[in-house]
Amino acid sequence: MKSILITFDQAHYEDIVATLDRLECNGFTYLEHVMGQGSNGGEPHFGSHAWPSMNSAIITIVEDVMVDEVLGELKKIDLYRPQLGLRAFVWNIEKGI
Amino acid sequence: MSIYESSVKRPILVSLCFITVAILGIASFLKLPIDLYPDIDTNTIMVITTYGGASADDIEQNVTRPLENTLNSVEHLKHLTSKSRENISVIYIEFEYGYDIDVLTNNVRDKLDMVTSALPDECNTPFLFKFTTDMIPIMMMSVQATQSMPALYKILDESVANPLARVDGVGTVSIVGAPKREVHVYVDPQKIEGYGISLETISALIGAENRNISGGLFDLGTKTFNLRVEGEYNDPKEMENLVISAKNGAIVRLRDVARIDDSVEERTQSAYNNGKEGGMVIVQKQSGANSVQISDKVESMMPRLQKNLPSDVKLGVIVNTSDNIKNTIQSLYDTIRDALIFVSLVVIIFLGKWRAAVIILLTIPLSLVGSFIYLFAVGSSLNIISMSALSIAIGMVVDDAIVVLENVMKHIERGAQPKQAAIHGTNEVALSVVASTLTLLAVFMPLTMVTGQMGVLFRELGWMVSIIMIVSIICALTLTPMLCAYLLQDKRDEKESKLFQIIFKPINKALDALDNGYEIVLSYAVTHKKIIVAGCLGFFIFSIFISKYLGSSFLPTLDNGRVKVVLELPNGTSKATSNSYGQKLVHDWMRKYPELRVANYSVGQASTDNTFASLQDNGNYLLSFNMSLYSINVRQDSVEKKVPGHKARDLETICNLIREDLKLYPEFKKTQVTLGGGMSMGGEAKIDFEIYGYDFAESDRLAQAFKDSLMNMTILSGKKSINACTEARISRSEYQPEYGVEFDREKLALHYLNVGTAATALRYRINGATASYFREDGDEYDIKVMYEPESRRSIEDIENITIYNSLGQGVRVKEVGKVVESQDPPTIDRKDRERINTISAIVNSADGADMGTVAAKAQEVIDKMDIPQGFEVKISGNYEDQQDAFKSLGALALLILVLVFVVMAGEFESLTYPFINMLTLLFAFSGVIIALLITGNTLNVMSAIGAIMLIGIVVKNGIVLVDYINLNRERGMDILEAVVHGGKSRLRPVVMTTLTTILGMIPMATGTGEGAEMWRPMGVAVIGGLTVSAILTLVFVPVMYSVFAFTGVKVQKRKQAKRQSAASKDVKITSENAHQIENY
Repeated sequence: MKSILITFDQAHYEDIVATLDRLECNGFTYLEHVMGQGSNGGEPHFGSHAWPSMNSAIITIVEDVMVDEVLGELKKIDLYRPQLGLRAFVWNIEKGI
Repeated sequence: MSIYESSVKRPILVSLCFITVAILGIASFLKLPIDLYPDIDTNTIMVITTYGGASADDIEQNVTRPLENTLNSVEHLKHLTSKSRENISVIYIEFEYGYDIDVLTNNVRDKLDMVTSALPDECNTPFLFKFTTDMIPIMMMSVQATQSMPALYKILDESVANPLARVDGVGTVSIVGAPKREVHVYVDPQKIEGYGISLETISALIGAENRNISGGLFDLGTKTFNLRVEGEYNDPKEMENLVISAKNGAIVRLRDVARIDDSVEERTQSAYNNGKEGGMVIVQKQSGANSVQISDKVESMMPRLQKNLPSDVKLGVIVNTSDNIKNTIQSLYDTIRDALIFVSLVVIIFLGKWRAAVIILLTIPLSLVGSFIYLFAVGSSLNIISMSALSIAIGMVVDDAIVVLENVMKHIERGAQPKQAAIHGTNEVALSVVASTLTLLAVFMPLTMVTGQMGVLFRELGWMVSIIMIVSIICALTLTPMLCAYLLQDKRDEKESKLFQIIFKPINKALDALDNGYEIVLSYAVTHKKIIVAGCLGFFIFSIFISKYLGSSFLPTLDNGRVKVVLELPNGTSKATSNSYGQKLVHDWMRKYPELRVANYSVGQASTDNTFASLQDNGNYLLSFNMSLYSINVRQDSVEKKVPGHKARDLETICNLIREDLKLYPEFKKTQVTLGGGMSMGGEAKIDFEIYGYDFAESDRLAQAFKDSLMNMTILSGKKSINACTEARISRSEYQPEYGVEFDREKLALHYLNVGTAATALRYRINGATASYFREDGDEYDIKVMYEPESRRSIEDIENITIYNSLGQGVRVKEVGKVVESQDPPTIDRKDRERINTISAIVNSADGADMGTVAAKAQEVIDKMDIPQGFEVKISGNYEDQQDAFKSLGALALLILVLVFVVMAGEFESLTYPFINMLTLLFAFSGVIIALLITGNTLNVMSAIGAIMLIGIVVKNGIVLVDYINLNRERGMDILEAVVHGGKSRLRPVVMTTLTTILGMIPMATGTGEGAEMWRPMGVAVIGGLTVSAILTLVFVPVMYSVFAFTGVKVQKRKQAKRQSAASKDVKITSENAHQIENY
């Protein structure tokens, strides 16, 4: 089991949820308002006067075999709208109930 | 979930909500009546008290003064004016505007109850009369007749006046110039004297003969019948056979001593239409009814009425007030239509996308129809004020939607889906959109609180614009994001058509060039701050310097095509003489002024049952003209038809020419030319100079001297010296000559007579005694017995009148009294409990004189004048109104400035940036002055209100600029970069919103239709102020921003340096201490 943390510009939300749904990653946790900025340029997302846009984050726990497929789809979305910003990171899941 | 998110997610709900608003708005619009102004509550109550037989002096001392002293303590009183003349006292109580007149009436009634017992015993109880604008006739019809002239009154009464009076909303219908039928019994005085019969006897006999009397019921067998004596005459000629005396078997019949004259009233008011005698029908409306609706009904009835009239009687329209109202509203419709076209063009050109343009343009009709619901709910109408509010708002309602749409499009360009872009794009700008609408509300909401006469005008304007702005911001936060989400295309799906490229390529190039050009200017400006600041301030100082050439007035003069002229010949002038002057003047004027459509005048004493005439002075020596010019919309064409090549003149010029014409007639004691017919606001600028003081002779002398100096006063207009006033009129009349009969009481007593009997006898012989009524076809006509006209034409005739005492002995007037020439004192006018004589001067604004200058110059004359003790001269009239209005507008402007500052300070969380923005108002001020000067307008209430509106409109540009520059700095740019970059990227929205507002106002500022004079100065002021301030703001604000920002940074650095040095000192001290300790 792996955990994928997806942080993205709020405008990506519907695309990402649709993608996860298509890949049958039914379980996820959605954090609506998340702030941050990327390491390699791109606009910060602070919800402030200067940087008004905001990020959201989704944490989804998937089987190991699914990881590449999910990341691949996410990469496609990111490339389709590069100016918005979308990043995904993968962790190991040790245990769960 | 925020409001815009829900809207995007629930498009059906949002669309239906707005469709409902639109339907309600359209339904309200269709039901809205049309009127010239919003409902103006009356603020004047008249108190009328009659005291038979008292002279003007007595009335003043015994009736008017006690009443005034009590009424003076009524709440909210503004002015108390009164007229005391023979037999009657009329007090006008003028209240401050904005109070419930019913409550005030009750207060007045209470006060009157207190004082009534203190009035003289023979005095009638004072009664109250509310003066309203409803008394102004809404329609005057002309009637031309030839053969039917003698019976015209009956014809008009039955076939015109009665049907019209039945129309819903019509108040009274009066007939002027059509004399009523009257049966005269002209008695030969010598003959009746010969027979020893008095006129009273004849009168009583006719009354006794001309009767139908019921004899009661009587039974005839089994039936009961009514017994009647039918003695009434069926024909006036039957009276000739009336036996008036049967002495010694000789029968004297009426025909032996008198002749029967079955004709019309002797003293009547005659009306002439374009020089031809005829009648006039005057229609007044019921209180609260709508003029336009009633006029329409009356007009639609006219063909039907015409059908029922004899073929020689022709109905026509002299004045129809609804024409003016309809034309005015029509020209406002045109203004709004043009504004819509201009604004749409700007939106399409700047956005370059039809879908985007549709989204923006949809907010205009939705916001506007929203305000119709308000108008309908409060029972208002489509009038000058509400319609100009629409026109003003058109350019501003799109601003919020543009800001939202622009940001949404930016998100879409970055790749977001339209739906997401709509939500997040709106979210980002929602706050600043709300703030900029708040600044506008800070301007327009206070307008709703204006009191006084100005309140009538501006309360509705304030509400209308506020409501439109609120609807527009709701639109911008719900409808616009929703439409963006569903109408705007994803960046990738967008294709540009060829046509689009052909049209918009050059436009885009031009706009890019503008951006780049502005960047260059801005880069120069921020590096040469001193030059820019000095230049801008120099410009402002220059405008203050030239502002002294800007005249001031109250309200613009409206060209509604109506002139009213009242001419007063010396008292005693016969009707025929007066009429000959009337004929000559009408003939001359119709020839000289092809602009005249119809000239009507009336002359003569009106009968007492004429409601319209009883409200104004009338008499044989008074000529009153009602003239209509062709409506300004068709004037040039109509004039061209009559006199090819002739250029149509405006109403003001024609009025002045008429005044010049009248100067050639020294016979006229007083002339009064009223532009606009004295109907409502928008007449010529009038300054009243009030001379307070008790002594008649002294105040007349002062008034005459002052009038002369006013008429000779000249002022400089440009380089020309022009007359300051075109007309100056003294309100108080001179003593009027009259004849009186002075009876000797002792002689009267010797003949068993008293003054009452003698005077009544005189009245019967000259004026006639109403003996009875002649009835025919259900109508009654007076039968009047009097001396034949030939026997009452000289003073000897009067002296030879025989009066009979109770013993039947006759005595001549000359035996008991004498006929003397005497002087009738004029009406005594009072204001605020002091005698007053008013000189009303009409300012020569056609040649460029303005009220402010004339009033100042007149004040100099007053100061130099030798005013006796106990006298005082005050300036009032429109000048007082103007001063009041400017005072309340000044207070309003101050309040608005504070509110706008508060909104801005709240938004920026700073005091510096709002201050910078407020500085741009200086240039708006300069722009207003320059625009008004160039277009030849004056500073009046309308241009002042335009300037006040600017406070909210102008700072909006500054807000956009400063906000974006701040944002750039927060993003890490240095000051100069932030300023230049921020300026460049905000140029388009600033230019676009400014252009929509300016172009939306252009139809107002350039309107030539009827009534356009009213709102033209407002349009000019807004355009001038906004143009100048927008151009300067784009340079001045960034420069000032950098000045303040650099200073701020310096101050901070200095503080930091201080802190650091203080900190290092501390460190030094501690290290020194440490050193000491170590040494120790």
